[in-house]
Amino acid sequence: MNDRNILLVDDNPDDVALTLRALERNNIGNPVDVALDGEEALNYLLPADGAGKVPALILLDINLPKVTGLEVLKAIRGNERTRLLPVVVLTTSNEERDIVESYARGANSFVRKPVVFREFQEAVRVLGLYWLLINQSAAPQRGA
Amino acid sequence: MSPTRMDVAETTAESATTERTSGPAAGGPALGPALAAAVGLSLVLAVLAVLGARAERTELRDWVILALVGGNTAILAGFGTVATRRAAGLERDRRAAENEMRASHNQLQELIDHTSANIYMKRVDNGRYLLVNREWERLFKVRREEVVNLTDHGVFPTGLADQLRANDLAVAGRRKPVQYEETAGTDAGERTYLSVKFPVFDATGTPYAVCGISTDITERKRAEEEIRHLNADLEARVRERTAELEASNGELDAFAYSVSHDLRAPLRSLHGFSDALIEDYDSVLDDTGRDYLRRLQSNVKRMGRMIDDLLDLSRATRAELHRDDVDITCLAQELFVELAGLDPHRTVRTRVADGLCASGDRQLLRLMLQNLLANAWKFSAKRPDATIEVDQVDRDGGRFFVVRDNGAGFDMRYADKLFTAFQRLHATSDFEGTGIGLAIVARIVHRHGGRIFAEAAVDSGAAFYFSLKPESGGLA
Repeated sequence: MNDRNILLVDDNPDDVALTLRALERNNIGNPVDVALDGEEALNYLLPADGAGKVPALILLDINLPKVTGLEVLKAIRGNERTRLLPVVVLTTSNEERDIVESYARGANSFVRKPVVFREFQEAVRVLGLYWLLINQSAAPQRGA
Repeated sequence: MSPTRMDVAETTAESATTERTSGPAAGGPALGPALAAAVGLSLVLAVLAVLGARAERTELRDWVILALVGGNTAILAGFGTVATRRAAGLERDRRAAENEMRASHNQLQELIDHTSANIYMKRVDNGRYLLVNREWERLFKVRREEVVNLTDHGVFPTGLADQLRANDLAVAGRRKPVQYEETAGTDAGERTYLSVKFPVFDATGTPYAVCGISTDITERKRAEEEIRHLNADLEARVRERTAELEASNGELDAFAYSVSHDLRAPLRSLHGFSDALIEDYDSVLDDTGRDYLRRLQSNVKRMGRMIDDLLDLSRATRAELHRDDVDITCLAQELFVELAGLDPHRTVRTRVADGLCASGDRQLLRLMLQNLLANAWKFSAKRPDATIEVDQVDRDGGRFFVVRDNGAGFDMRYADKLFTAFQRLHATSDFEGTGIGLAIVARIVHRHGGRIFAEAAVDSGAAFYFSLKPESGGLA
């Protein structure tokens, strides 16, 4: 099952609202499911009954309560069903270690959320273009 | 002092030997003929006496006997005198030789008595002392007259005496000088000695005694021990301070991370939602309302930049320095391309000297040069013929990189404020900025052990000189 949903994992409701706005302004019409922390994200993707959803794209914040973004990423990459999903790490910090660690754990992209909304909107546009359109057909084959 | 004394001792010994050997030869030639003459004369007189007796010439015989007795008496008297004189001479020589020996012995005794080392000689066979010097007497409270009948076991506790005796025997066995570190108890407490022990050989080449010269190294050992303690103490303190620093660095790290995340997030919301207001509620806002929102956005942007710059400053302080060979020419050219990309409407003439190289942390040098070039880029904005150069020059006896522009410059009176965070020499309305850029530059230069200074004049451009390693010929 590979629906066209986007999973947005972010604990900050303001950021969630602004990300939804940025997606909408870029005419990215995919339905968006929101998880407000890492645990919720894992329940969505990898529930105990094994019948998790498989979104088209995951936008994952690093700083999350309970289970951190990097732990969620590790779980995604460690599961046969989800390991090829495109994951874009979104973060507020510009700490190099976050970038390095994210790529080391298998993130496909890393975006530092800019203060200026137009810049964020532009970043989301490029992400949508790449991961939802250009790369979509290729994604399932990679690493198989 | 001691070589001079040695010379004197040797010279005296030689002259003594010379005198003794010439002594007996002196009387030899005079006594021989006298003895021969006396024997000859006695024979002649005896022959005459016999002939006189045969001829029955009584008067002649009486004269001859008289002459014989008288002559022999005279000869005996002569010999007696000569023999007495010779005996006196021999006695004198013996005394002189004795004196010489005593003098020589005294000289050696004086010599060993006036050294701060303690010196002793012991027999190999029974371990008894042969001689000790004054320092030895003083230390162990035993007089030299008494010590000649003693062994180490009569002077020191058994354990130590056993050890000393074993060392002595080892020296005799090895037939060459050996150095030991020995410890002995004295009135002044336990002392440590550095002892050089060497065997003394008899005429047959057998070691019959062991001589030792022990130097008190207690103070030296104590000083060494103290230094060791101080060093250990210092190391412990350094470790402690390092741990404290690491802890506070860790806190600073956590703080910076938190600032980076938690301060920027609300700003993003402020900016995002004000943007939404402008877009979605444009119809209900008048120009003043829109202006207020734009002012709000511009301040949010400025605060965002300040947070970013502060984080850069903190990173310039915290980041571990990984030195590498960095191509400054290439780096500067890349950064100029970036600056031109961000500001495509401007025409700036840039010139970067070929072959500029430095040893430094690539990330930090990039951050530093980025700030310096952006600074030059910004302050030359009002000149139609803006020029920025990157070069290397000799200044004040050192080699410096230089970033030079022909922009607004500044008043040298305020040059000391240049590299302090939040100190600005221009109004924000003239030139945008957070006042942190040059503080970042200076911090990175200092972390590399280098130096930075600027030269400028108002409206005549500025030049920033920096080095990236400690200057040679300094105190270090």
